[in-house]
Amino acid sequence: MANHETGGLAANQDLPLLRIRGLGVRFGTFNAINPLDLDVRDGEFLTILGPSGSGKTTLLRAIAGFQAPSEGGIEFDGRDIADMPINRRPFNTVFQDYALFPHMTVRENVSFGLRVRGTGRKRLNDRVDSALGIVGLEELGARYPSQLSGGQQQRTALARAMICEPRLILLDEPLAALDAALRRQMQNFLKSVQRQSGITFLFVTHDQSEATTMSDRICVMRSGSIEQIGTPRDLYYRPKSKFVASFFGASNIIEPCEVIDARNDVTSVRTAVGTFAVAGPAPEGGSGLALAVRPEAFGIGNGKPVNQVELTVVSVSFIGSETITELRHRDASLEFKMKTRSDPAASPPAPGSVLTVGFDPAECALVSGDRG
Amino acid sequence: MLAEDCVLWGFAALFILVPLASFLVYGFFFVVDNSVVYRPTLANFVEILSNDSYRTTFFKTLRMALEVSAINLVLGYATAYFIWLRPPAWRNFLVIALAVPLLMSYIIKIYAMRGVLGTNGLLNSVLLALGIVDEPVSALLFNLTAVRITLSVVLLPFMVLPIYISLERIPNSVLNAAADLGAGELQTFARVVLPLSLPGGIVGAMFTFVLASGDFLAPELVGGIEGFTYGRLIFSQFGLAFNWPLGAALSILLMIVALAVIYIARRLGNPRWQR
Repeated sequence: MANHETGGLAANQDLPLLRIRGLGVRFGTFNAINPLDLDVRDGEFLTILGPSGSGKTTLLRAIAGFQAPSEGGIEFDGRDIADMPINRRPFNTVFQDYALFPHMTVRENVSFGLRVRGTGRKRLNDRVDSALGIVGLEELGARYPSQLSGGQQQRTALARAMICEPRLILLDEPLAALDAALRRQMQNFLKSVQRQSGITFLFVTHDQSEATTMSDRICVMRSGSIEQIGTPRDLYYRPKSKFVASFFGASNIIEPCEVIDARNDVTSVRTAVGTFAVAGPAPEGGSGLALAVRPEAFGIGNGKPVNQVELTVVSVSFIGSETITELRHRDASLEFKMKTRSDPAASPPAPGSVLTVGFDPAECALVSGDRG
Repeated sequence: MLAEDCVLWGFAALFILVPLASFLVYGFFFVVDNSVVYRPTLANFVEILSNDSYRTTFFKTLRMALEVSAINLVLGYATAYFIWLRPPAWRNFLVIALAVPLLMSYIIKIYAMRGVLGTNGLLNSVLLALGIVDEPVSALLFNLTAVRITLSVVLLPFMVLPIYISLERIPNSVLNAAADLGAGELQTFARVVLPLSLPGGIVGAMFTFVLASGDFLAPELVGGIEGFTYGRLIFSQFGLAFNWPLGAALSILLMIVALAVIYIARRLGNPRWQR
């Protein structure tokens, strides 16, 4: 806040709300988190995305204070908080299992943070009313958690975390326990609460589509390290590694591939199934590369895209609006998946037939292969 | 399912309810010249309720049981809480250590307490060594206080275990949530831990009260004349006076109290938020 009031200093405005430097967590000899840096900007929705065991929850627990880091520092708003007790940390958490107090009503749960601070009754009631209003639980204040649905418990947990008006809320896979339809609804709800309140959200999930829909930025984690940080579009169109590419659905990986030419922001690569053009400069340290192509980037024959390859149809599955075709290259035993819009007029290609498949240089990415 | 239920209820009826009922029914008979007259009457109950010495013993015993429950609630909660705060490996060891005395003979435990409380006993040695008393205290044995102390010690596991179980059931994330929302350790205890574990305390207090109010051996062995309790009164009707009908009637009254306490404990120990 102070930064905005003083105006002029651009450097101050760029200061991240949460600044993590060299933070590592070890359990015995196992590195749950390798020393890493991460900045969380004021007001953003940042998602930590990764498969189970990637260290994302451990990272969140270290920030919340439930897990003591083995090394490194955490700064919040310029203050070092690495050794600060949990109850003094100026932000709140929404837990995976909600962790509502079972012996308290919704109102009592939500007001807990104010009651431990000794807030006066009038002020407390106003704040609780407004928090319940935001999450749409005005009518259910007298219920106990055991009398609520999963979504309602979720909303209660969110209201409880918001009641002390923190500038940052940590969310640990809060939607994991909900069914698919409710989860989608809660994603939109969380996003809109975040946007309207301006509170910074640090959200942990293993669900790529959830991260993509909700986040301003995504931090992909793998085996205790940060693999890539960027906007959802960055990660989707410009993954840096094979891991990120396949996590974001670019499941056709052609490797090895070798850079043979790079100019005018177009890089040419040679692979076992042909030579292709890729938009963008070649990555530094150009060895151990792979070419990642999204299934929906492929098109059959027409339109003359730059990159073309002849493939044999293995199988065709019709899934409604889209048709998925499994293909194989005749020499290299590489398999491909193509996702196309279903065409009511055309009959699908027969298995065994040979297709010329093309893709646009902008719809593929040069990525690094597996680490180590 | 239905067949299994029938078998279960059949066993319960055959081995518990039928013997119990066939014994309790004696409470409605009476004795003439040392032999039981099998004619229904309420005379025993009229006798018990109108006789001062029966009434006094009855209320003295209930009061003593209540005191034992109260002492044990405090001691038992402290013990359970202490165990709960240990690292997991320690916890299991301590819980087992606490449960071992439950497998031992009741009478041995009471004799052990007699050794502790006696004039040359452990407690007196400690008091002497600490300089709290100048000569051994004989007032520790053969009175109602000795019964209170003995029952408190012997019944402690019945208090600790249910409290410990309810502490164990509090999810870690709930405690984390309290800290996360700004509660210090004391506030977390007062606002979260205590209310969530109190149902266990109520169950423990019920166990302790019911077991203490009906106990016969401890008062008999450490109670002396002052420690004449309701349990001893019942025993004297069967073992000394050979008045089974009066003994059964006394038992029926105690059973009514016990059932009432169990009912109340069920209500209190199952608060609205759990249902």
